[in-house]
Amino acid sequence: MTRSALLLVVLLVGAACTATPAPRESLTVLADEELRVLEPLWADLTRDTGVELRFDYRGTVAASADASDGHDLVWPSTDRFLALRRAQPPLSTSIMLSPLVLGVRPGVAARFGAQPSWAELASAAGRGELRYGMTDPRRSGSGLIALVGVATAAAGTGAALTPADVRCDKLQSFLAGRAFTAPDLDALRGRLSEVDGVAVSEAVAAQAGLDVVYPRDGIVLADFPLMLRKAERRSGYDRVVAWLRGPGPQRRIMETGHYRPVNPDVPRTGALAGGVGTALYFPGAQEVLDALLAAYDRAGTPSRVVFVLDHSRSMAGERLDALHRAFDVLAHSGGFDQFHLGETITVVRFAGQVLDERSTTITSRADLDAVTSGSADLADHTAVYSALDHAYRTYPGATVVLLTDGENNAGLDREAFRAAWPIPPRTYAIRLGDADPAELAELTRASGGRVVDATPGSLGEAVEEIRGCR
Amino acid sequence: MTANRTVVEEPRFTVRNPPRTPFRRKRFLLPFGISAGVALAGAIALFAGGVVTLPAQGITVVRGMLASKRDFFEDAEVKRVLMAHGFQVDLTPVGSREIADKDDLDSYDFVFPSGQATADRVRDRRKGKHLVSKKPFFSPLVLGTYREYADALLTAGVIKPQGGDPALYYNLDVPAFVKLMDGTLTAGPDEEYWKHYPPLRNGNRIVAQTSDPCRTYSGSTWLALVAFAANGNETPHDESAALAVARRIKPLFDIEGQHGDDLAQQFFAPEGRTFAPIVAIYEHQFLANQFRALEGAGRPDTEHVLLYPEAQHETVPEFLSFTDAGDRLGRLVEGNQALRERAVRLGFHVFGAGGTYADSELAAELTARGLPTPRSGVGDTETWLPDLPLLERMVTEVGGCR
Repeated sequence: MTRSALLLVVLLVGAACTATPAPRESLTVLADEELRVLEPLWADLTRDTGVELRFDYRGTVAASADASDGHDLVWPSTDRFLALRRAQPPLSTSIMLSPLVLGVRPGVAARFGAQPSWAELASAAGRGELRYGMTDPRRSGSGLIALVGVATAAAGTGAALTPADVRCDKLQSFLAGRAFTAPDLDALRGRLSEVDGVAVSEAVAAQAGLDVVYPRDGIVLADFPLMLRKAERRSGYDRVVAWLRGPGPQRRIMETGHYRPVNPDVPRTGALAGGVGTALYFPGAQEVLDALLAAYDRAGTPSRVVFVLDHSRSMAGERLDALHRAFDVLAHSGGFDQFHLGETITVVRFAGQVLDERSTTITSRADLDAVTSGSADLADHTAVYSALDHAYRTYPGATVVLLTDGENNAGLDREAFRAAWPIPPRTYAIRLGDADPAELAELTRASGGRVVDATPGSLGEAVEEIRGCR
Repeated sequence: MTANRTVVEEPRFTVRNPPRTPFRRKRFLLPFGISAGVALAGAIALFAGGVVTLPAQGITVVRGMLASKRDFFEDAEVKRVLMAHGFQVDLTPVGSREIADKDDLDSYDFVFPSGQATADRVRDRRKGKHLVSKKPFFSPLVLGTYREYADALLTAGVIKPQGGDPALYYNLDVPAFVKLMDGTLTAGPDEEYWKHYPPLRNGNRIVAQTSDPCRTYSGSTWLALVAFAANGNETPHDESAALAVARRIKPLFDIEGQHGDDLAQQFFAPEGRTFAPIVAIYEHQFLANQFRALEGAGRPDTEHVLLYPEAQHETVPEFLSFTDAGDRLGRLVEGNQALRERAVRLGFHVFGAGGTYADSELAAELTARGLPTPRSGVGDTETWLPDLPLLERMVTEVGGCR
């Protein structure tokens, strides 16, 4: 038996030396869709290793969700989603690296400065100055990672995101700039001309000839682990991994796809040699991602804030200035807290009765300026409760912000108001001058809001509260 | 399946050694070697059952499961020496703490967990079965960081340079570092953020990044070290004390959220500043990088520096063999002079010669290469690792291990 087996070995070796080797092993691979770009390498891989790879492509999030999938190997952009499900296959080897970035069309990057923060990008998106596309975060790794990046920066804790951090709607100003969500990468590539930028890996951005913006406060690295799902395919897997991590293929992966080599002996060239800012701590629980996706689904749901502004005669002079300053802070808070595209702002001016009201759905910065630069004519009396009653009835579901300096002396009285609105919609009251704090406190407490002092610090906090973020 | 260890003729595997010219490798040797490999796999299948007798020049394939100590077995020179002695080692990389829980533990010839706590759990599982232990070398757990991050920690007053300019090694006051992480070191605001220490602009909380404490020895050891410091430099002595400490330190581990893998690889990558600015790694990983830097650039790497916890714990990896082939490999790794020298070149402290740390073979190698010798603190402090069940309790509580 020994002899015949050795003879077989010799024969096989002899045959292999004289003929072009056909693939002797075929492995099926479920790979992230962006790995299509590496297809030119596979003929050489097969020639050198005898292993043929047969690819199916899917978004990394979708591929991570299906642990019972039948492929021999899995090659996602990151194993973070699998790790959250504690579903990592036994063997996993990183092949190359690429941070998630914003790829922007030439000339766009200059709008943001060298290394903008996510808050600055969200602000630009909220104002309509950055329109971008992304891939579906329920399927694509880059889509979901973009949400994690923005939300982590918005939370501003310097720590991994927790479910509590996601409950607020800070994501919304960033999502307001979203022009479309593409079902997959090919669809995204097909619509590049419609937008200023796309949330993709650095490699995909470079492949498309886009400039790369590295948000300085929230980089996530994709490390493209090649994973063995079927233990009996180990030998083929080992050969493929050894080949992919060799200096030659690593260089070709870099040149073909603009990925950063994982092999430290292969120097990064060109734009890949630069630094990439600060990484974020990635959340450690699946429920965080679920909360994020829920926030993502809420995007585009119309939201409205109604400002009820006291224009009684006692507001003349300094108090009116204070009102305008306070209103300016509320309306123009930057970053994640600002009003954003698609949001509707209503301004109701009142004295002894409602004087006028104007609404706008924000489509640009100019809309916001137009609605907030209201007229300054003043009238007699102060009908606080009537004005609120009007706002509640006309704009159900809105958050109401009252700015007043005085006591109610016209229209509905307190008892009638209380009878009509035992639990009023959420209302914040910004106190100017002599307004009675006790009365305002009672009114707002029942609504779940509160009284806010007209100092910039308090107003800033109030804006965050109005956004549900405190 | 017994085909995991079999006998084949040696020369056919020489293609696994470092390549000659790319031309020869690509056009001839590799396809040839693959062919040979496939043919041999056929032979292996035929010989499954292990009835083959060894020719003198035959090689034995030995299967091992191990974690960070695979750095040793993946080294080209180590592979060459092992091959010359008739061994080819097939590695299955896992986290150390996972080794003892693997269903197929018994199918390996050896395992090489990074520390005793895990080795003890393997011993429990192998009760009544063949098991031989060897301790060929060790390496302490340390924090690796970048110079500007070390400067921040120096400003915060939690590390002290061991000497040299620029210093490569620092002593880390772990209790002070724990206070810095939780923001109670001083009354100052924002001291727990890196950006508090210009020129750093990193808005993240200060933490040492670790691999998953549930899965790895380094992660669980760092956790134990933090627990020891948070408990007033005492090991918790009963379950309720252990749980209380674990709950106190859990928020510090939650800051990082999901733990990374292969932190040393990330740390030494060109993007390390971004993704792994301060990490719990083993000293050997740092020193191996220094030796590589000396061989490559001709000068030490002064960007990466090491922080030695002042209260230390010897992390001694144990080579545990379950088969005769595993035993023979263990004896070779422990006793062979070429392998011992190579282990030193890879940054390990080898046991058996020299005695104390200061005059060890590693210290001699560092001195010979013009590198300063770190004072690791090993042996200076009492053991601070709690009893194994208490450590498990703390790790599970903090890590939420499933």
